[in-house]
Amino acid sequence: MNNWKIEAADGYFVGSFFCMASHCELLIDTNDALLASHITKQAADEAFRIESKFSRYRSDNIVHDINRAQGDEVSIDDETFSLLTFSDTCYQLSEGLFDITSGVLRKVWKFDGSDNIPTKRKVEEVLPFVGWKKVEFNHTHIQMPKGFEIDFGGIGKEYAVDCAAKLCVKLAPDISVLVNLGGDIQVTQPRKEGYFWQAAIEMPAEKSKHQKSRFCNSQTDNEVSQAVVKIAQGGLATSGDANRYLLKNDVRYSHILNPKTGYPIKDGPRSITVASDHCIQAGLLATLALLQGKHAETFLKQQDLKYWCYW
Amino acid sequence: MQLSKSKKITALLATATCSLLNANVQAQEVKGENDWKFETAILYYGETDRVSLVEGVVSATKDFGDQHILNTKLVIDTLTGASATGAVPQANIQTFTRPSGNGQYTVAPGKLPLDDTFRDTRLQLSANWTQPIYQDTRMTVGSNISREYDYLSVGANVSAERDFYNKNTTALFGLSYQFDSIDPVGGVPIALSNMLVDSGQFGVGDAGEAGFNAAFDLTRESDSDDKTTIDALFGVTQVVNRRMLVQLNYSYSNSSGYLNDPYKLLSTVNSNGETQSIVHENRPDNRAKHSVYAQTKYAFDNAVADISYRFATDDWDITSHTIDSKFRFNISDTDYIQPHLRYYQQSEAEFYRPYLNAADSLPVYASADYRLGEMTAITVGLKYGHKMNNGHEWAVRAEYYQQDPKNAGFENIGVLSSQDLYPSVKAFILQFSYKF
Repeated sequence: MNNWKIEAADGYFVGSFFCMASHCELLIDTNDALLASHITKQAADEAFRIESKFSRYRSDNIVHDINRAQGDEVSIDDETFSLLTFSDTCYQLSEGLFDITSGVLRKVWKFDGSDNIPTKRKVEEVLPFVGWKKVEFNHTHIQMPKGFEIDFGGIGKEYAVDCAAKLCVKLAPDISVLVNLGGDIQVTQPRKEGYFWQAAIEMPAEKSKHQKSRFCNSQTDNEVSQAVVKIAQGGLATSGDANRYLLKNDVRYSHILNPKTGYPIKDGPRSITVASDHCIQAGLLATLALLQGKHAETFLKQQDLKYWCYW
Repeated sequence: MQLSKSKKITALLATATCSLLNANVQAQEVKGENDWKFETAILYYGETDRVSLVEGVVSATKDFGDQHILNTKLVIDTLTGASATGAVPQANIQTFTRPSGNGQYTVAPGKLPLDDTFRDTRLQLSANWTQPIYQDTRMTVGSNISREYDYLSVGANVSAERDFYNKNTTALFGLSYQFDSIDPVGGVPIALSNMLVDSGQFGVGDAGEAGFNAAFDLTRESDSDDKTTIDALFGVTQVVNRRMLVQLNYSYSNSSGYLNDPYKLLSTVNSNGETQSIVHENRPDNRAKHSVYAQTKYAFDNAVADISYRFATDDWDITSHTIDSKFRFNISDTDYIQPHLRYYQQSEAEFYRPYLNAADSLPVYASADYRLGEMTAITVGLKYGHKMNNGHEWAVRAEYYQQDPKNAGFENIGVLSSQDLYPSVKAFILQFSYKF
């Protein structure tokens, strides 16, 4: 069974479980232990449901069926259609930079902190298998060229946060709940006593010699690896390469790859956190900002958002 | 790598987010723990000068999640009117005894004999439970009970369905068992016995009535009888491509026991076509039926075509062909119209005959039931459906049905040549349905 637990804190309950390779936490603004455990169990089940349905590491789900179809059509359900539609919108909005077929580039790029940079030829070999515009889908089916794969990794965790939060609203419409899946956060409504929730978000502590570090709009210390943010309502998500990069000849290769070139985005920030109405929206904006490379902050400023950007 | 146009994407992204999360909320609500979904319908079926039927249906489905689904259904219908008995029209007035033995009715010259005593209410209940039993395999078990004044039917069914090849192929195997008990008004008539008519031969008053009743009872073999039916179905559904779906079914059905219609009659006529006597019909006590069904659905951008063909044949020698086609046109996101056209053709049962010849010896089996004769039937209809803002759906369906019995090569001897032995049955159907 799926493991979860709750603990009492000062005036609220903390529910926790481990899902999507992340520590997940629920802060539930109630003194009712029964309600807190009910909410935690349901939210955990929802997160596990989404993980098992959309993880590309499993061989018994729709993503696996789609990825091994080898050019054949695959039937999809409504939820998969919604996610594909959302991914399609993101592809359009980012002019092709956000592309859920770009995961195959990881076959040549292994972001393990080493200096293992693939050869140009190797990159060119996998590049023909990237390109969302070659994918056709409708309400009931998806069809991709042979060798193509999709990966909801770029939005899956944030989607799970939003779905779990939505479920919390349904189960407890009058109670503030903070859902935190490994730093991607959604708060359903302000707390009763008007307090903020405080959430820790991961920031890269280590910095490269050639890059200076600065936070924008931030009240946090740039030397710490975790920043504490106060949040009353809405979503918060972080995109970055805290632990996932390659370093060669003092050049740091970000794990954010440009699906058009097959190479990492250069000269961009190492981490971006964005606050928005919904977690998935925040996550997308953070990722899209990272994809702008050195123009990341210009992009973020244009969006008129609250954000934290770490170079 | 800077975005060239629409630099501010927050608003568009917010819209996409809302539709993603709301779409999923809907999906969750469909699977919601306490949500029963209801489908209700009321139908009127009226034949010109014959039976009319009003039927109400309530179907309730609850999804317990993970494909565990319970469906229950209640059907109530009320039938009134007259039905053809099987006797032939004559040039003079004909007198018939009511099936109960209590009283008589007369049929005017040149009119097809109809028994107008039909009035019945039927109540039908069924329940089905579906759940996955193994990877990609679902199982359904169900039972049903149906009760009307002279009829009780109970049944059970079980089926298994399995998906193959990324759910592009689904195979279905099903079995069902039905037990019917019939308790006809006035008892079960002895096969091919003469209908007893009181023409004063028993005298008048209580003694006459007692004499008639005693003689009437001699034409009855029991109060009730029963039959059992076993059906087996094997089907395959194949998704051909994203627009097209094909289904093929084979089914076998075997009924045994009392298969007669206790209210159906035959006229025995002389060489001039004049009725000498009226007898109760008799059918074999076993019927084995094979049928093959093929259906294809094709989705256009704003329309769906649904065309099917059924071929059925049985050891009573009835062979039938049915072509059914529906085209659904989505005229907007919320409205559709659906024309319907159905054509049916069947050959007659080997023991079907419009009448018996008094000069011939009685056959073992004989029925003049028009439903066992050669015929064609056509249905033309139109349905209009609308989905409301709250997600509820209503639809209205109007159809015209015409059944044209044919003479399967029988001679209209003597006076029968001036009678219409094969009149058409015309019916109008109106249905209103509501889903919530």
